[in-house]
Amino acid sequence: MELLQGTLDLLILRTLAPGPAHGHAIAKAIERQSEDVLQVEQGSLYPALHRLIRRGWITAEEGVSENNRRAKFYRLTAKGRKQLHLETTRWEKLARAIARILKPAEENPL
Amino acid sequence: MNRRQRALAGLEEDIREHLDRETRDNIERGMPPGEARAAAVRKFGNVAMVEEETRAVWRRPWVDQLLQDLGFAFRVLRRAPAFTAVAILTLAVGIGLNTAVFSVVNSVLLRPLDYPHPERLVWLGEYDTFTHHDMVMLSDFAEWRTHARSYSAMAAFSYQQIAVANSRGAFPVSAVLIGGDFWTLSGASPALGRLFAPSEPSSLVVSWEVFQRQFGADPHVIGSAVTVDGRAATVCGVLPKGYRFQFPRWWAVQHPEPVEAYLPIDQGDPKIRGRGGQVVASLKPGVSISQALAELKLIQQSLHPPAPPSRLHIDPLLDQLTSGARRALAVLLAAGSLLLLMASVNIASLLLARASARRRELAIRLAMGAGRFRALRQLLVESLTLALLGGAAGLLLARCAIALLVRLGPQSIPRLDEVAMDICVLAFTICISIAAGILFGVAPGVALWRTDLHDALKEGARSTGGAFGLRIRRLLVAGEMAMAVVLLTGAGLLLASFLRMNARPAGFAPEKVLLMKIRLAGTQYTPAAQQGYRNELLRRLGSTPGVESAGISTQFGWSGAPAFPNDPSPTQTHVLHLNAASPGYFRAIGMQLLKGRWLSDADQGGVVMLNESMAREAFGAVDPIGRSLSAPQPAVVIGVLADLRYSHLDADAPPEVFLPFPNRMMLSFDLAVRAANPAGLLPSIRREMAALDPTQPAYDVKTLDRALADSIAPHRFNLFLLGTFAASAFVLALVGIYGVIAYAVAARTREIGVRVALGAQRGDVVGMVVREGMAIAIAGIVAGMAAALALTRLMASLLYGVNTTDPRIFAAASVTLAVTALLASWWPARKAAGIDPTIALRDE
Repeated sequence: MELLQGTLDLLILRTLAPGPAHGHAIAKAIERQSEDVLQVEQGSLYPALHRLIRRGWITAEEGVSENNRRAKFYRLTAKGRKQLHLETTRWEKLARAIARILKPAEENPL
Repeated sequence: MNRRQRALAGLEEDIREHLDRETRDNIERGMPPGEARAAAVRKFGNVAMVEEETRAVWRRPWVDQLLQDLGFAFRVLRRAPAFTAVAILTLAVGIGLNTAVFSVVNSVLLRPLDYPHPERLVWLGEYDTFTHHDMVMLSDFAEWRTHARSYSAMAAFSYQQIAVANSRGAFPVSAVLIGGDFWTLSGASPALGRLFAPSEPSSLVVSWEVFQRQFGADPHVIGSAVTVDGRAATVCGVLPKGYRFQFPRWWAVQHPEPVEAYLPIDQGDPKIRGRGGQVVASLKPGVSISQALAELKLIQQSLHPPAPPSRLHIDPLLDQLTSGARRALAVLLAAGSLLLLMASVNIASLLLARASARRRELAIRLAMGAGRFRALRQLLVESLTLALLGGAAGLLLARCAIALLVRLGPQSIPRLDEVAMDICVLAFTICISIAAGILFGVAPGVALWRTDLHDALKEGARSTGGAFGLRIRRLLVAGEMAMAVVLLTGAGLLLASFLRMNARPAGFAPEKVLLMKIRLAGTQYTPAAQQGYRNELLRRLGSTPGVESAGISTQFGWSGAPAFPNDPSPTQTHVLHLNAASPGYFRAIGMQLLKGRWLSDADQGGVVMLNESMAREAFGAVDPIGRSLSAPQPAVVIGVLADLRYSHLDADAPPEVFLPFPNRMMLSFDLAVRAANPAGLLPSIRREMAALDPTQPAYDVKTLDRALADSIAPHRFNLFLLGTFAASAFVLALVGIYGVIAYAVAARTREIGVRVALGAQRGDVVGMVVREGMAIAIAGIVAGMAAALALTRLMASLLYGVNTTDPRIFAAASVTLAVTALLASWWPARKAAGIDPTIALRDE
């Protein structure tokens, strides 16, 4: 299934909500959590990450991974957390609205 | 490191790390290592593309596109070096001349004076109808200073050339007598010694330059005794190096040299109290000029009860200082703007021609998906690049022009010696460059906007289109013609007026007349001793070989109501110029007797000669010879002289009365000597004077020719600048009309070929092309004459003896341009007539 435009940003923010992670871990988490429904070229993660850094929603910091190699860790900022909340609410509203439109009979048994 | 660099650092490592982990995961899932890596890369996508896209996130699109446009603009300009050179040169002239004029305006009119609180400094003037400048009696000044409450400081100064002598010798120097708070107002502090107090007679303060030049920079000069015009005085101080006398100098036209010595107005000497001077003051904070003037009028009324002080005025000092230059600079600025407009129009026209040639290039770019705005911006960037290059060249040109202007004569415009380029000038240049760039970038932009993609591409290699561009270009060139008419007419009026000023009657020959001023100073010069000096000087000069004629003169004014026979009422007031001269003076200057006889040595008083204007003013059409003139003293008119402008060239000769030189106290007088070679004669004249009295130097030694030229220095300055503008405008108009006609002919090669093939004669073709050029030119010239008629009125105060609507000047400017246009279109027309139809038609 193709990703909707802008959705990747939201997914990254959601993935980083529990704590910082490096690029590969983010990609894995998105695949896992969406039960492989959302197929995305892992590479497209990077432009998205940098877009988020530029907007100030996440930061990147140098760290050392578990097998002692240098890696970049991405962390949600306060601004990013607020954005995540905003976007999530918007998505939920949208999803509910679409769901109502698609299944009017069940919701409105006249 | 900025955010962008910090974020992008280690991007490759990050990606490599990502791929390694994925590979490891794949291996853990049981893939063979080689396949695991390939699968990881497959899943990741194109690594190079990802990196590029990630970098793109950080890019500011407009900066990159601007850089791209700039690079493209430079390539385009380099590919057409001839066009680029012409355009930059045109702009350099337009922008450079404007920058030069603005530098003058900036330094003269806009920059405040170097004195403390320049915004509060005012000029207190009383216009004097005889000398035509502001003059305040120093006795009045003393009263003003005592009684006026509007000022925190008030000072007077009075110009005088003095001779300073000490053991090293004597030297003449331009000085001012100063009184009141002069030092406070001008913010002076001494570099050496001290500044004298207002009531401290017999003191002298000199400039740093005089201290270096005349006193050998010897600090012991402080407190030493000198004589100033024969009276003992003490040098009490030296001013610092940068200190300059910056107050208005009415004498600057005749005596441009700087003021370098300062003396106190000697309060004890009644003769000095009776002399005139100029007054400056500093207003108290919160006091307005009108309040100050009301107070001053009350004070003056109480000093001179019968007559109301109508000629009193107070002005901001800077306005007073530059009032004479204001109108001229405004005219020059306007002329400069017109010229820059013409330059822009010319370049717009060139760009339009190129735009039609580039239609296909642009059409292809549009067809490939470039937005029209993007393409438009590309054109604008090209124009602006061109404009800024032109501006840079213009700055260089302006530097040379300013150097030339300053050398042209510091007496032409006050403060001209201060002119320099500063940040304001630079900002001005950049602004007008950008404005010009937008101006001439718009026309090709509009042409592009109207480009029909389909047509442009369909036309194939033949890029004849651009009928719209040609229409705009005709309009532009007509406008350019109109502006050229305005500039040429303005310059023509100045030139005619300048020629009128320099017109001189036959036999005047002012280049053969040597003038100098002599002021006998010192207690030994009793009236009898003075007379002895004068008689002996004239006797010696009379027998000096080479001297054709020599005489002395002194000029003064008289005003009152003398009840001349020609007056409509006996209370009519007159201002008379009086010139008391020895008989040799009239021949030395070169005056002409119209009626009656000359004054002779035998005439002691009771007889006068008049110039024509004076005769007309007093007696009307009646023959004045033998009649009695009631003023200044009753005298019989014995002769009438032709009017001669021998002191100022930019005004008609004033009514003048010539009297015998008086045998009274007459400290200073002018000497005039006529000789075939005045410069060669000067050493022998100096020798004769030194033999008489070596302590009395001559001042202001110059030929009459030189003195007259100095009197119109500002006019020469204006003429030079406006003339340069007009000449540039002329060339631009010529190039403009030639460019359009030549282009039109080139675009119509095929059509003309067909006409010739169908039997059109050479004459028909030439006539057709020339008619097209002349239609544009005539339309422009007619519009230009109308505009000139409205604009030249602003020049009235700059002209002498020429009407602002002088039809001859208008006709000359128009005919010059019409003939130019004829030649400019005849040249391409001849080429058109030579078109060979077989070649033209094959030329597909």
